[in-house]
Amino acid sequence: MSKWVCLFALLAALSSATQLRAQGNYEIQVYGADTIEPKSTMIELHSNYTPDGQKSQVDGVYPTNHQLHETLEITQGLTSWSEVGFYVFTSWQNGHGVQWVGDHIRPRVRVPDSWHWPVGVSVSTEVGYQRAVYSRDTWTWEIRPIIDKYMGRWYWAVNPAFERTWHGPDTKQGVGFSPAVKLSYDFNPKVSGGVEYYADYGRLGAFDSLHDQQQQIFLVTDLNVSPKWEINIGVGVGPTANTDHWIIKGILGRHFSWKKPSLLD
Amino acid sequence: MLKLSGLTVAAAALDVPAQQPADYTIDIAAFDLDVAARRTIKTIAYNRQVPGPLLRLEEGRPVTIDVTNQTGNSEVVHWHGLFLPPAVDGAMEEGTPMIPAGGRARYTFTPRPSGFRWYHTHVFAGKDLHKGQYTGEHGFLRIEPRDNPARYDQEIFLALHDWDGQLLASGDGAMDPAYEVSTINGRVLGFGEPLRVKSGERILLHILNSSPSEVHWIALAGHQFKVVALDGNQVPQPQVVPMLRLAPAERVSALVEMNHPGAWVMGEVRKHIMAAGMGIVVEYAGSRGKPQWDQPNQLTWDYLLFAATGPAPPPQPDTVTIPLVFESKFAGHGAMDHWTINGKSYPETASPALTAGQRYRLAFHNRSNNDHPVHLHRHSFELRNLPGHAEIHGILKDVILLDAGTQVEVEFTADDPGPTLFHCHQQNHMDAGFMMLFHYV
Repeated sequence: MSKWVCLFALLAALSSATQLRAQGNYEIQVYGADTIEPKSTMIELHSNYTPDGQKSQVDGVYPTNHQLHETLEITQGLTSWSEVGFYVFTSWQNGHGVQWVGDHIRPRVRVPDSWHWPVGVSVSTEVGYQRAVYSRDTWTWEIRPIIDKYMGRWYWAVNPAFERTWHGPDTKQGVGFSPAVKLSYDFNPKVSGGVEYYADYGRLGAFDSLHDQQQQIFLVTDLNVSPKWEINIGVGVGPTANTDHWIIKGILGRHFSWKKPSLLD
Repeated sequence: MLKLSGLTVAAAALDVPAQQPADYTIDIAAFDLDVAARRTIKTIAYNRQVPGPLLRLEEGRPVTIDVTNQTGNSEVVHWHGLFLPPAVDGAMEEGTPMIPAGGRARYTFTPRPSGFRWYHTHVFAGKDLHKGQYTGEHGFLRIEPRDNPARYDQEIFLALHDWDGQLLASGDGAMDPAYEVSTINGRVLGFGEPLRVKSGERILLHILNSSPSEVHWIALAGHQFKVVALDGNQVPQPQVVPMLRLAPAERVSALVEMNHPGAWVMGEVRKHIMAAGMGIVVEYAGSRGKPQWDQPNQLTWDYLLFAATGPAPPPQPDTVTIPLVFESKFAGHGAMDHWTINGKSYPETASPALTAGQRYRLAFHNRSNNDHPVHLHRHSFELRNLPGHAEIHGILKDVILLDAGTQVEVEFTADDPGPTLFHCHQQNHMDAGFMMLFHYV
């Protein structure tokens, strides 16, 4: 019964939507398919600074230029194939000080290892609110398939995300397509480097012109200093007119296990 | 006298007139193994059974074993723990001919030494976790001695194995095999017949870890084990222990006094492997009810317990020490590590020269973050130096588990001329370079 309710809600959400407005640069990350283990928590701080972005206020939204976004992400493992994440978005900007921006919740499920799929696959859905001065659309929803694979020293991940607005001026603008892709190479056990690509092409079936699309390319490095820590640093460039031109991003994550360590488990 | 006879493919064998029937035959073929009521493993097995047939051979009496290979790949059978010529030992690297797909071979040899040995495939598997030791190609060898080391009422052979492996990210940053199903004698706990015993019996268990890569810890609820032999060789000091630890390819022979009637579980001490199926019911005659399991609260095992008492004799003055350093080479988070011995991976590894009659000390230094069950073909070695202990003596083995970051020393006498393979018995490690060949001069 419940799955039919969910399916109906999904179809209703998709059918009533007509356009998307991309969220700001609060969490810049290409997801891997793996999920957090049960009885463990990942706490991540996403720090994103825009040295060269939108310089004027548009539709009542603060300009992104020289904004520092600090996002706290807390992800709790539920089962060996599911997790749920919570986000707290904040922004600092000269003249506005530190401001709370909004919160999101993101459940995620993945294909269990026992299915023996040749690639990692998971699906997340993210729902949340952000204040109108930071995003025209206050309530948004996203569904994000995630496919990834390690191949020797190479790693790739693809996140073809679909987004829509539930409340805001773009409520009737439909479902938007926002893919993200990562390709990286292991230089050694501790250091990987690669490229991450983020885009918002606009409404499905009627993509925006290239001029109006959002596209960002980041050069990134992942530092695998310990299984307990996650470190990702990158510098991104936005080549289209509708994209912030320069962004610096960093992710610092710490894994906490609530299981009592035991050789017998 | 050891000899190889007619180790040839089918076409050539047909040219051999009136060949005498073999003492044993082994057919290597695909097999659907029902490990549980609703779980079938597609694998390769000997004589369509897992484990393969128990071969009881007499020490010193020549035997012929015909092997047919009905698979699509070349095969070879290694007679693990026996002192055999390289041509029949069952390792291509030593010179044993491979049995081509669809071919057959006759192995003729004189088995020695006595004890609990085993036979298994010795082929490269690489990333294919359905080849080599990942399959059901293993069986028990019992080389009967003139005198049994212990009196017993029943002799039971058990093989621990792991199935349906896949490469998953591990804690050390590389990919390692992980398994979904773990069995004893090809069955998960609760599937198949229990071990039936009677109160007052003495059971001699011969337990083999045939897993491609996993160490296993075994306990029998309500009972203890009296370890009488390791790798088929009697230990100087039989000891009673609450549990057994077996690295891949290791064997333990242990007596159990059946003095606690009921229905019990013998199985893996670690919960997730027990949950994957590694257990078997031990049922006393007349007992009913749900089998009982007592979860141990720690893992205990020490080779030292079984060493000879008294101070170890000093090494012979002319003993030659061969240092062997084991290290991993990172190949990416999406690959299994590569392995080196003294900085080189097989086949680039050095080939130390051995002189017949000479005593050698192998000084192992495991500089990696992994444990390694290292195996020397065609010889036994004596444990001499374990981490944190003074010199010991008296324990003869052909496999020893080197814990990560430790140093261990063993000695052996070069008394079986011919190329002699040395390798980690973890299939994914030997496939990735952890192998070397000694040669006699």
